[in-house]
Amino acid sequence: MSNPCPCCQPDILPAARRRGGGRSLARKTADSVAGAITDVLQNEETAARPGLLQRLDPRVKLLTLVLFAVTVSFVHSVWVLLGLVGLTMLLAAVSRVGVASFARKVWASAALLALLIALPSALSYFTPGQAVLSVGPVTLTEPGLMGVATLVTRVAAAAGFALLVIWTMRWSDLLHALSAMRLPDVVVATLAMTQKQILTLLRTVEQIHLARESRTLGRGTNRENRAWVTERMAFVVRKSMKTADDVYDAMLARGFTGAMPSLTHLRLRPRDWVWAAASVALCAAVLYADRIVGPR
Amino acid sequence: MPDIVAMHIPDGYLGPQTYVVMWMVMVPIWVIAARKVKRTLKAKQIPLLALGAAFAFVIMMFNVPVIGGSTGHAVGATLIAIILGPWAAVIAVSIALVIQAGLFGDGGITAIAANCFNMAVVIPFVGYYLYRLICGDAPSSSRRVISSGVAAYVAIVVGAICAGFEFGIQPHIAHAAGGQALYAPYKLSVAVPAMALEHLLFFGVVEAIVTMGVVAALARTEPELLQMMPAAKPLRWLWAVVGVLILLTPIGVLAPGTAWGEWGSDQIQSRLGYVPSGFDKLGGLWKAAMPDYTTPGVSNTMLGYLIAAVVGVALCVGIAWGAGALLARRRNNDGADPAGTVPPANASG
Repeated sequence: MSNPCPCCQPDILPAARRRGGGRSLARKTADSVAGAITDVLQNEETAARPGLLQRLDPRVKLLTLVLFAVTVSFVHSVWVLLGLVGLTMLLAAVSRVGVASFARKVWASAALLALLIALPSALSYFTPGQAVLSVGPVTLTEPGLMGVATLVTRVAAAAGFALLVIWTMRWSDLLHALSAMRLPDVVVATLAMTQKQILTLLRTVEQIHLARESRTLGRGTNRENRAWVTERMAFVVRKSMKTADDVYDAMLARGFTGAMPSLTHLRLRPRDWVWAAASVALCAAVLYADRIVGPR
Repeated sequence: MPDIVAMHIPDGYLGPQTYVVMWMVMVPIWVIAARKVKRTLKAKQIPLLALGAAFAFVIMMFNVPVIGGSTGHAVGATLIAIILGPWAAVIAVSIALVIQAGLFGDGGITAIAANCFNMAVVIPFVGYYLYRLICGDAPSSSRRVISSGVAAYVAIVVGAICAGFEFGIQPHIAHAAGGQALYAPYKLSVAVPAMALEHLLFFGVVEAIVTMGVVAALARTEPELLQMMPAAKPLRWLWAVVGVLILLTPIGVLAPGTAWGEWGSDQIQSRLGYVPSGFDKLGGLWKAAMPDYTTPGVSNTMLGYLIAAVVGVALCVGIAWGAGALLARRRNNDGADPAGTVPPANASG
C-alpha cells in the first residue's frame, strides 16, 4: 500500500481548537475573493444590457458621469443632493441595471458607513448649535444633524454615479475611452493587463483557500493562521514575478515593439451629443439651484 | 467576527478645494514615476507593473487574523516598495487603487488622487527609505525582517495621519454659516488622532505582521526578490530632511489649543467641571523630563521647542541604532547568512 501524497493529507488540528461558529478564515477569504470575481463578471453582464447609458459612446459616458460626480462635490443643499440621488436611481432604471440591487449597493454600504461615521458629529460637543434632541447628557444639534444629512446624501449621490460608471461600462470600453482621451498607451496597456492578472491571481488565491478549507479539520490558532497567510502571500509575490517574466517573454516572442494600436474606432453619434449637452445643462441647473436653496 | 478594512476615502468626504489640490500634486508625481520606471525597467515595465499592481490588489483581499476573532487587511505598499522600489510602487499601487475604484467601487472617483497620495506615495516612500535606513548595507535575514516590520508600521501610520489631515481640514475650510459641516465633519483635533490611533493600535500591527511574514518567507525561499533594488547607499540627504524638520518644529508653538484627547487635568477640569479621581491619582505618577516639549531652564519657547526636538530625534535614533548594533552583533556571532545578504553596492548597480 503506497503512502498518501503529503500535500493531500489533511491538517488535523487539535480538537480543543475547534471552537467558535461561523466560517473559517480560509472560507471567509475564499468567499470574499469569489465575491470579487462575481462582481467583475456581473459588471460585464449589466454593461451588456440594452439600456440608455450602455448605448452611449464610452468617452461621452465616462466624461458626463465624472462631471456629475464632480458637480455633486460642489452641492451643499441636502434637497438638491436628494434630487441627484433620485437622478442616479432614474438612470439606473432606464439603464436596466436593477434598481433594487443598485439602491442596496449605494445605501447599504456607502451611505450607511457615512452615517455611522458622521452620526457622532451631530453631538453638541462636536457641532454646537440649536438643540434638536436631548437625552440625558447627549444633545443632538440642528447644524450637526444637517451636516450628517449633507454628508450621507452626498456620499449616496457620488457613489451612485460611480456605480453607474462601473455597471454600465465594460472594462474594455473604459480602456478605449481612456486611450481616446490621450492617456499614454503604456498606462492603458498596464491597466488592461492588470485587470486580467488580477482575475488570474484571484482565482489562484481562491483555490489556495478552498484547498486549505477542504483539507483542514479544526481552526488553528491566530499565530498558525497568520504564518499560513503570510506564506501564501509570499507565494503570490513569487508567482506574480514569475508570471511577469513569462508574459514579457511571450510579448517578445510575439514581436512586441512597444506600439499598441487599437482596432476599435469610436465615433460620436447624435444621441451622444444630445446626452452630453443635456448633462452639461443639468449640471449647470443643479449648481444654480444649489446657489438659491443651499446653505451659505 | 469583525472584519476591519483599510483607509480608502470615498467620494463625498473631501471638498473640491482638497481633492483638486491632491490631483494637482499627484499628476506630476505620476509623470515623474512613469519616467523613472521607464528608465529602470525598460520594455519589461508593462508586465512587471501589471503584476505588481495585481499583487497589490490581491494582497488587500487576504484576511489576516489579528486578535480574538478579528481580521484585518493589509495595504502592502511598503512590501511592494521593498521589492520593486518606491517609484515602481507608486505606479503599481496607484493602478491597483484605480482598479479598485473603477471596477469595484472601493474608494471614490474624485478622491482617487488623495487615496493614491496617501497609499501609493506616502507609504511606499516612507516605508522604503526607513527600511533601507534600518537595514544598512549588508543586512541579515532577521534584520531585513525587523526593518520591514518597523518600516511598514511607521509608513502606514504616517499615511493614516495624512488621510486624517485631509479629513480634518474639511470643517476648517468648508462649513455653512450656522456651523453645519459640508464634507467630513470632524476637525483636525479629532480626525488626526482618530486615524493615527486606529492605525497605531490595529492597522499598523496588521501591516507589520504581513510585511514581516512575507519578507521572512521570501528571504527563506526566494531571497533574490529582496535584492532587485540596488543595495543601500548612505542616505545623507535623509539627515538633511530630519534637520529641516527639526528647524520647523517651532511651528507647533503657533498652533492654538491641545490635540483632542491629550488634555491635562486643568483642561479636563474646564471641560467637564471636575477631574475623575482615577485621572487625578494616576496623572501625576510620571513627571516628564521635558513637559509639553519645553526645556527646563530655557525661557524662550521657540528655543525650548527646538532643543526638545533635537533630544527626541537623538533618543529615537539612538534606540534604533542600538537595536541595529545588537542585531548586527548577533548576526556576526551566528555567522553571516548568505541567503539574506545583499550584494555589494557596485554589483547591483
